[in-house]
Amino acid sequence: MKKVVDSTRVGFRDGLIELAEKREDIVFVSTDSLKVVKGEPFLEKWPDKVIELGISEQNGVGVCSGLASSGLIPYICTYAGFLTMRACEQMRTFVAYPKLKVRFVGANGGLHGGNREGVSHQFIEDIGLLRTIPGFSILCPADGEQVRKAIVASVDIAGPVYIRIGSGKEEKVFGSDQPFPLGKIRVMQDNGNKVALFAHGFVLNRVLKAAEILAEKGIGAKVVEVATVKPLDREGIKDILAQTGCAVTIEDHTIIGGLGSAIAEVIAEESPAVLARLGLQDTYGESGFPEELLDAYGMSVENIVACAESVIRKKEKQRQ
Amino acid sequence: MKTDIQHLNDCARQIRKDVVEMVYRSKDGHPSPSFSAADIIAALYFHIMRVDPKNPLWEERDRFVLSKGHACPALYAALARRGFFPPEELTTLRFLHSNLQGHPYQPKTRGLDATTGSLGNGVSVALGIALAGRIRKKEYQVYAITGDGELGEGLIWESAMAASHHKVSNLTVFIDNNNYQSGGTIEEISGTYPIDEKWHSFGWHVQSIDGHDISQILEAVDNAHQVSDRPSVIIAKTIKGYGLSYMIGDNSWHKRVYTDEEYAQAMEELGGKA
Repeated sequence: MKKVVDSTRVGFRDGLIELAEKREDIVFVSTDSLKVVKGEPFLEKWPDKVIELGISEQNGVGVCSGLASSGLIPYICTYAGFLTMRACEQMRTFVAYPKLKVRFVGANGGLHGGNREGVSHQFIEDIGLLRTIPGFSILCPADGEQVRKAIVASVDIAGPVYIRIGSGKEEKVFGSDQPFPLGKIRVMQDNGNKVALFAHGFVLNRVLKAAEILAEKGIGAKVVEVATVKPLDREGIKDILAQTGCAVTIEDHTIIGGLGSAIAEVIAEESPAVLARLGLQDTYGESGFPEELLDAYGMSVENIVACAESVIRKKEKQRQ
Repeated sequence: MKTDIQHLNDCARQIRKDVVEMVYRSKDGHPSPSFSAADIIAALYFHIMRVDPKNPLWEERDRFVLSKGHACPALYAALARRGFFPPEELTTLRFLHSNLQGHPYQPKTRGLDATTGSLGNGVSVALGIALAGRIRKKEYQVYAITGDGELGEGLIWESAMAASHHKVSNLTVFIDNNNYQSGGTIEEISGTYPIDEKWHSFGWHVQSIDGHDISQILEAVDNAHQVSDRPSVIIAKTIKGYGLSYMIGDNSWHKRVYTDEEYAQAMEELGGKA
C-alpha cells in the first residue's frame, strides 16, 4: 500500500486556523516556532493573535499563564521536550495548578518525530512527565487529520491540554471521515480475543500490519487506539482486557510512565492480564530514519507479532 | 482628590501589623520580605490600582503579580483591608483548608490575580496579562513586584527582553531591592549589581526610588504611566524588616516566627489603630 503523508504539524496549524475563524479568544504563542508548523497563513490572517517571544520556552509558558488568566486561550507549540522538560515547572505551577486553559503542542514526539536530529530533539519522556501532573489532559493523535480534529476538540476541555505531534512526515492512518474520539479508546481492528494491541501515535500503521500477520497465522488480535492518555478510558480498557486476558502496548516513548505504564496500572488495579510493553526500554535513541529507528528499538512489525505470541503463550500457560 | 500620604502610611503600618499577627498565629511565614514590600503594596492597593472588592474578577481592573510570592502575608493583608475578604481570615494562613496558601494561589484567594511562589516567574506571567490587555483592547495596567535575589533566575531576563521587544507599556515592575536573599546579601550570594544598568540595556524605562517613601512610589508610577513605548521598572531601595527595629539588619527574619515577647514588642512599635 502506498504511504500517504499527512503532516501532524500542518494538522495543528489547520486546526488552529479553524478555531480562530470561529472564536475571538484564540492566540498562537511562538517561541521562534511559528515556521516549524508552517504557521505563516495564521500570521497573515491574524497578526495581532500571534505572540512571538523568541527562543524562550519558560517565558513562553509564563506568558501563556498570564494570557489564559485574562480571557484568552493560548496555543503554544514548539519541540516537545523544550516545553515538557525545560518549562515543566511553569507548566505545572503556573498553568496546571491554577487550572488555566493553555494548550501545549509538542513537536518531535518520539524517535519517529525526532529521527535524524538525534537524542536532543527526540522526545520520549513527554507523556510520562505530564501524566504525573494533576489536571493535565494528554492527547496523542495518529496523523495530521486527527491532530486537526484534536486541536479543535481541545478548545472546550477544562484546564491544560497537551497534544503530541511529530516531524510533519507522518503517514495517514485514519480516513478523513473518522472523528477524533476525545476521551475514548477506539477499536481499529477486531480479529478476535486472543490478544489486545494498545497503541497510539505514529506507530499505529505498523500495529495494524502486525494484527494482519497475526490474523494470517490464525491469531485473532484487537488493535486498540488510546489517543487520550489522560484522563484514561479505564472502563473501555478494562472491557478489552476482560475479553483478551493479555495485551501488548506499543508506544514511541519510554515504557516508563507512558501508555505502557497506564495500561499496566489498569491491569494491576482492576483487570489482571499478561502484559508486554514495547517502546524505549529505559534507553535513549540515536539518529536515523524514522521507520528504521522504530524497527531498531523494538517496535518492528515482527517484534510486535512475536510479543503478541509470547503474551498469548504466557496467558495460556497460566490458565493451565 | 489630594493624595493622603499619611493615610497610605497608616495602611502600610496596618499591613505590617497584620503580617506580624499572621506569622505569630500561624507559626510560619516570611516576615521581613513582607515588610520590605509593604509600602509599595499599600500604595498599589489603596491608591494606584483600580480594583473592585465586590467584583474581584472585574475585567477592566488593574492587575498585580507578586513574583516574590513568599511576601504574600503583606498582599493578603492588603486584600483583606481593601475589602476582598474579612480580616479575621488572615490568621488562617498556611493552615489546612485555608484560602490563604503559603504562597499565592489565585483560584483560592479572592482578589488575587496570579498564582506565584517559585521565584523568577512573575514578570513573565505579568507580561502575559499585559499582552492580553493589548489584544483584548483593555485599558488596564499590570504591576508586579520581584525580589532582587530572584533576578538571578534566567527567566526574568527572558521576559524582560520580550516585554521591551513588544513595547509593553502597560507593565510596571517594582524590584524590592532590600539587598538580601535567603542566604545572605546580594553581593555575597549572586553579585547582581548594577541592577539599573541591566534593565536599561534590556530596553526598559528605569527609575530608582526609596521604596519606603510613599510619595516617591506614587510619583514613579505616574512617571511610568507617561511612558508609551516600553515597559517600566522601578528599582525600590528597601530595608528588609523595615518598620520593626529588631528585624532590621537581621536576615534570620527572612523566615522566622515571633516569640510572645517579640510579638508584644512588635505591636507596641507598630502601634496605631488596629
